[in-house]
Amino acid sequence: MNPFVSRRQLLQSTSLGSIALASLLHEPAEAGRAPEESPLSQQSPHFPARVKRVIHLFMNGGPSQMDTFDRKPELNRLDGKPLPDSVKKQLQPTQRNRAGNLFGSPFQFKRYGECGLEVSELFPNVARHADDLCVIRSMQGEIANHTPGLLLTNCGHATLPRPSLGSWLLYGLGNESDELPGFVVLCPRGLPTAQSRNWTSAFMPGVYQGTHIDTENTGKQIVANLTRDDVRPGSQRAQLALTQFLNQRHAAQRPGDERLESRIHTMELAFRMQSAGTDAFDLSQEPAHIRELYGETTQGRNMLYARRLAERGVRYIQCYHGGGQPWDNHGSIVRNITRLAKESDQPIAALLTDLKQRGMLDETLVIWGGEMGRTPTVQQVKDPTKVGRDHHIDGYTVWMAGGGVRGGMTYGATDELAMAVTENKVTMPDFHATVLHQLGFNHKRLTYRYSGRDFRLTDVHGRVIDTILNS
Amino acid sequence: MQACFHRHALLRLTVLAGLVAGALMPCGTGSLRAEERRTNDSADELRFFEQKIRPLLVEHCYECHSEEAGEQQGGLLLDRRSGWIEGGDTSKAVVPGEPDTSLLITAIRYDNDDLQMPPEQRLDDEAIALFEQWVRRGAHGPADDMGETEFSRLGDQDYLFDQAENHWAFQPVRPVEIPSPGAIDTEHERWGENAIDCFVLDALSSAQLTPSPPADATTLTRRLYCDLTGLPPTFEQVTAFQEATEVDPDGATPRLIDQLIESPEFGQHLGRLWLDVVRYADTDNNYRPDTRTPHYHPFAFSYRDYVVRSLNNDKPYDQFLKEQIAADLMGFAGDAPEMAALGFYASGPYSSRAQNEALDDWIDVTTRGLMGITVACARCHDHKFEPVPTADYYSLRGVFAAVARVNPLDETKQPVLTSYQPTPSQSADFAKKRSAIEAKINGAAGKKAKNNNRPIAQKIRETELAELLTFHPGAPERAMVVAERKQPPESFVFVRGDAAARGEAVPRRFLKILDPQQHAFPETNSGRLQLADKIASPDNPLTARVFVNRVWGYLIGSHLVDTPSDFGLQGAPPTHPRLLDWLADDFIRHDWSVKHLVRRIVMSQTYQQSSRTRETAAVVDPENRWLWRANRKHLTIEVIRDSMLLVAGRLDRRIGGHPERLWGDDYTRRRAIYGFINRFNLDPTLRAFDFPAPVQTQPARGESIVAQQALFLMNSPLVIDQAAAIASADALTRIEGDEAKVEFLFRTILGREPVAAEVSRTLKLVEFQQRFQKPDRPQTRFIVSPWPLVAQALLMSNEFQYVD
Repeated sequence: MNPFVSRRQLLQSTSLGSIALASLLHEPAEAGRAPEESPLSQQSPHFPARVKRVIHLFMNGGPSQMDTFDRKPELNRLDGKPLPDSVKKQLQPTQRNRAGNLFGSPFQFKRYGECGLEVSELFPNVARHADDLCVIRSMQGEIANHTPGLLLTNCGHATLPRPSLGSWLLYGLGNESDELPGFVVLCPRGLPTAQSRNWTSAFMPGVYQGTHIDTENTGKQIVANLTRDDVRPGSQRAQLALTQFLNQRHAAQRPGDERLESRIHTMELAFRMQSAGTDAFDLSQEPAHIRELYGETTQGRNMLYARRLAERGVRYIQCYHGGGQPWDNHGSIVRNITRLAKESDQPIAALLTDLKQRGMLDETLVIWGGEMGRTPTVQQVKDPTKVGRDHHIDGYTVWMAGGGVRGGMTYGATDELAMAVTENKVTMPDFHATVLHQLGFNHKRLTYRYSGRDFRLTDVHGRVIDTILNS
Repeated sequence: MQACFHRHALLRLTVLAGLVAGALMPCGTGSLRAEERRTNDSADELRFFEQKIRPLLVEHCYECHSEEAGEQQGGLLLDRRSGWIEGGDTSKAVVPGEPDTSLLITAIRYDNDDLQMPPEQRLDDEAIALFEQWVRRGAHGPADDMGETEFSRLGDQDYLFDQAENHWAFQPVRPVEIPSPGAIDTEHERWGENAIDCFVLDALSSAQLTPSPPADATTLTRRLYCDLTGLPPTFEQVTAFQEATEVDPDGATPRLIDQLIESPEFGQHLGRLWLDVVRYADTDNNYRPDTRTPHYHPFAFSYRDYVVRSLNNDKPYDQFLKEQIAADLMGFAGDAPEMAALGFYASGPYSSRAQNEALDDWIDVTTRGLMGITVACARCHDHKFEPVPTADYYSLRGVFAAVARVNPLDETKQPVLTSYQPTPSQSADFAKKRSAIEAKINGAAGKKAKNNNRPIAQKIRETELAELLTFHPGAPERAMVVAERKQPPESFVFVRGDAAARGEAVPRRFLKILDPQQHAFPETNSGRLQLADKIASPDNPLTARVFVNRVWGYLIGSHLVDTPSDFGLQGAPPTHPRLLDWLADDFIRHDWSVKHLVRRIVMSQTYQQSSRTRETAAVVDPENRWLWRANRKHLTIEVIRDSMLLVAGRLDRRIGGHPERLWGDDYTRRRAIYGFINRFNLDPTLRAFDFPAPVQTQPARGESIVAQQALFLMNSPLVIDQAAAIASADALTRIEGDEAKVEFLFRTILGREPVAAEVSRTLKLVEFQQRFQKPDRPQTRFIVSPWPLVAQALLMSNEFQYVD
């Protein structure tokens, strides 16, 4: 059943213009959707997709790479030494002037799994999945601040309004579920920095934007207008029956208008969503051992919601650690990162375990990371017990797991002081191209026509990182 | 979708063909005269190219630099000689004979960190040596050189200007002869009376279609009320119009149209069309992370009220535009109400505090919003598809870079306007609250926030004071103005859009395609007044056409040009080109009167025909491109909301003033155009109903159908409240008998009498609910009365949300 439909105006920007362009380029029009199609009907991608969905665990604020997944023995050896001026120049201008001495990681690293992946003591549970992790240590950002980093990571451009990755996926694939939105953003305690711009559909139709849910709320408040509690379910059903009776008569007198039928369907969908949405967010349905696996904490609930949404056909699920930018540890990093990692280590490991035992990990691409990393130097803080690390975009770490990526490997590297990428630099367009590839898209061919040109998530950049993918 | 699979296969075919051609080439016959020896030499070169160079290009370069692949990244094509000789955006790729000065060689050698091709991996030394040899030998091209093609001409401005010469939208607006209606059958005799209908009928006849009969009086009343005022008619108004048409069939409709166009609701409704175009909002698109509040634009509402007032006063559209672009340069007093027009620029998104982005928005809203030309695409290079050289972008950037932005919270630079008058008690309350905040600010003098060292006083100004100025009805209205900079800065082209890479200096002037003489604007100021004159001119071929098309789309439900903000070479062609031109010309001749334009359109039989489908016509023209029927239109979220308040008897019709909350516990009962629009975090209900994100100029709204909309109707407090208000109104409770109550609700909410089947079906819900009303039932939290549920069932119906 397809409950969604649109007028031709809805996707007008993909109509005549792109056909003209396509014929100019001697290619079939393949902007993703024909103008007459409903915007959320299911679509086939360019080639068979390797995964069905993405769960993006967003450690917003920018987690430190050398304290987690990128061990730097030389940095540890030089701990407390001043940074030579020649090297200091490599830092971004905003960080250069406030960079203090080198700051080795106070955390111990161990090797895990058959692959011997080095992971710090901050993530003992995640580390047990070492053989499933593909750690990319060579991420290259563009602007060393949160909003540009978030927008670049989510939407492919650091400053201009562009549709987010989730919007591109909905545009390209449609919605699998007919009871739930296809792009859900879970964030406890308010909104992350840059707010809804992180999941905007920008110039695409609004149906492609993410649905934000504050997972600090629980139960029925979790989705706007999801339910009301002053009417008996039976009364509401009877009320809806009257509306639908009127709608059926109205539509019957106005044949040939698909929108009227669609609204009738959508109203039924909404009625079901009252219970489906409530159901998806009702963790009491989970057995005790599963709830314990994740832990009955904010992060634990967040990850468990993610799995429940994944099971129900949601394409793109983003889990922010929390409102604002919690991983932004300019000060007291040792205390703060220990707390943040402790909050998320068990739930993330639980998610990987749970997906695996349900046979879902292989069809789910799990991504862990932030919008940047942190400096190998101390940010100048007067009190030595409260030192932190500054923003760093030249070589930070993200990892992927599941869905067709090679586990137990690392890709790319930074120099021994973690100042810059030394091999296999990965830009955000490369990263996006790779994610799109796993979902069946050639990132160069997934285009949306707006304002006179074809836009891409990767603009004119991006290459798929074949090395990290299972062939 | 299959192109990506076929691409390499196609390439291989091309290569094979090339190789075969190359191999056959030298097998000519004849004596070895000098001419032929040369040919033979060049045949050697071709063979060298096809055998040694082409395979390397195919393997390493064509994915991004060939027509077959549909890619010319960096503007560079390597599948023809002209491609590498003329080069891409950077410059020539190859200088024949000189490998060391050829960029292509530099790139493949990986000599330059910023230019390394192919990006994946350096070629092996042998391949590089071959390329060097090829360049040294003269960089000869393929045997079958493609030369210039449509594809290689992308971005070729000479070619695009040639194309533009014949493009409809760039032709002057001239009087158009009205087609003679020809033989009109008796059913459609009125179609010969109105020029619009003659054009439409002419197009219909060409498509072998006929128009629909006129809509009945009930349908037409609802259509006119909704389209002209954004509010549905009451049952009494419908009945009155029905009676009037019986008495005076010819006069009743024009009278109603005049009455509605002259009502204050006209500007409140049509104003929303304009606010979409100008990305209106009451905040900036950023927020303050430490206080978690938006950057308020407390005086943006003066611009919104200016728009509504101008439409209601029928300010000529050319004047309307000029004031928005340059009111401060037109000789108005500093506190004249016209100064509010400058909110067109001043209330826009200031982006991430980055001047380049803010200027880009101003260029975009001016060119795409007012003229339907996508100049903003020429920021990094000449436009690929339109006659817009990058110099045009930077000419306009020069205009706007000479404009000083005023801090939206700086009250000293934004004049108080008298067009809004708070009551004395509102003013007094405001003064009291303000002085309390001022006291707090003074008390915080010298203190700084612990976390980020910002002055506490500053934070209070940005939050509490800004909120008070934005929302308090006693706060004065100020014009959100811009000003001239003392010294207009010189403007340079930024090469590839990079502010650090200055190219040639460009004077402030108008777009080349519209002003081929390229007269420079005065050197002493921004030139906004000259820009305004160029845009709001009868000689500008785009301005009138673009606006007429927007209004047409708003009233008819489909546009004559389906890309309302793109009238360029890539835009959709008009379905009725002569009608569009006639409307534009008529609009200009009637002193750019928007009311005249609206009246013209709604007086037409085209507008007034029935929206019912007809099977035979639907087969020929399912999309109704040729307007053989009226379009059934979905009401916008604003109209739905206002209609609910109206039928509940709770709509506050006051005009103008500070923004108020649309939803939540303290939702306003005023019209939705007065709702607070938060640009940085757009309200989810608005978003769910296709309200465009006010971050850039918007061509038109779509109509999506998503579950969140239905959830809003089913469960939102606003809808539930209005249903409850209708159910508890005296008018309903006074009525005896369930059937009469049902009839009353149909009349009140849907503006019509129910038919018997509807009454009996509704009574079923009443009966279902009445079982809970028995006195012996225990008290619960559930609604027992059936009437709020019935009222809401009608509010939720499609009939309530659509206009036939």
